[in-house]
Amino acid sequence: MKRLFTILAVTASVLTIVLSVLPASNLAIFPGGAALIFGLIAFYLSKKAGHVKKIIQFSFLLTIMALGLTTYKAIFNTTEVGDTETLVEKEAESKEEAIEELEDLDLDDIDIE
Amino acid sequence: MKRLFIALIFLVTCTTQAQKTAIAAGEKLVYTASYNMSGVLNDIAQVTLETSNVKTSKATLLHLKCKAITYKKWDNFFKIRDLYESYVNPKTLTPYLYKRDINEGGYFKNMKYTFSHKTNTVKTVQTKKNDWVEKKDVKINSGTRDIVATLYKIRLVDFESMSVGAKKSFTIIFDRKEVKAQITYLGKETINTAIGSKTCYKVAVGSNDSDVIKNNRDNLVWLTADDNKIMVYGKFKIPVGSGELKIKSATGLKN
Repeated sequence: MKRLFTILAVTASVLTIVLSVLPASNLAIFPGGAALIFGLIAFYLSKKAGHVKKIIQFSFLLTIMALGLTTYKAIFNTTEVGDTETLVEKEAESKEEAIEELEDLDLDDIDIE
Repeated sequence: MKRLFIALIFLVTCTTQAQKTAIAAGEKLVYTASYNMSGVLNDIAQVTLETSNVKTSKATLLHLKCKAITYKKWDNFFKIRDLYESYVNPKTLTPYLYKRDINEGGYFKNMKYTFSHKTNTVKTVQTKKNDWVEKKDVKINSGTRDIVATLYKIRLVDFESMSVGAKKSFTIIFDRKEVKAQITYLGKETINTAIGSKTCYKVAVGSNDSDVIKNNRDNLVWLTADDNKIMVYGKFKIPVGSGELKIKSATGLKN
């Protein structure tokens, strides 16, 4: 049982670290929470047995670091759009082409302003 | 992701009789599109709706533009640079030319529709990767609009005269096919948005012809209950998940 919870805690904490560095870092809170719960259970069982393995403390450290990073990203990272240079050029090009095409169309039902 | 974007646009789509003009050139609406991943909403893209005047030697048309751009952090995973345009009659929002240029995670497609309302036909030109061009003429019903023109047409709906539960049908040409869709007015609601607390018309959007948007009440939009009737919030549910569209800023409004 002790071993099972230790493995679960370590696995969840590694998953938390991985998710925290991805764009969808918000998702890290789920394995992060699970890692803390599994870690606490593993810690409690280990303490009861008389020996706490370093790996449990390490999983706590990883989880706390990952959750810290997730929180930082959620608070301080501003969402900004990427490179739009090509799109801007495309827009201008498209508008020019459209005006040429519209010149050839029958627009009789529109009032000339 | 294509489905997601179609859904976002589809959400705010419908048609009705024109009443007071709510749309003017120079308007810019910016939205944040979020996608629900395991119960957590992640901001994935910025959607911009813009209007401007376009002058030809014969007339002045209204240029409606819709852009979707993924946020920088997603660009390495799934880059979207979509551009949807429609050139319409400024009074009736009848489309004359529609252009769609999509770049979604390496998938390219360019579509051009030239409307002929006298003959009720649309000349379409589809260009895909490696300049593969396909031309096709499509017969349409009168009143059929492209998705961008329909998106703006919703704002000319007189919701005040509609009773709760009242429905309106409309026809959109998308991917060279006519799609019948329907909106249902669900009443007024006050919601908090980035541009303040707004009293809105709550509207359900759906279609029996579409696999993307089902005709149920999972897809909802909130339009301000004022003369501008801008969409400030949208919720959608598609086969691959669910998400939201929230207004970020609104400038150049007519009223």
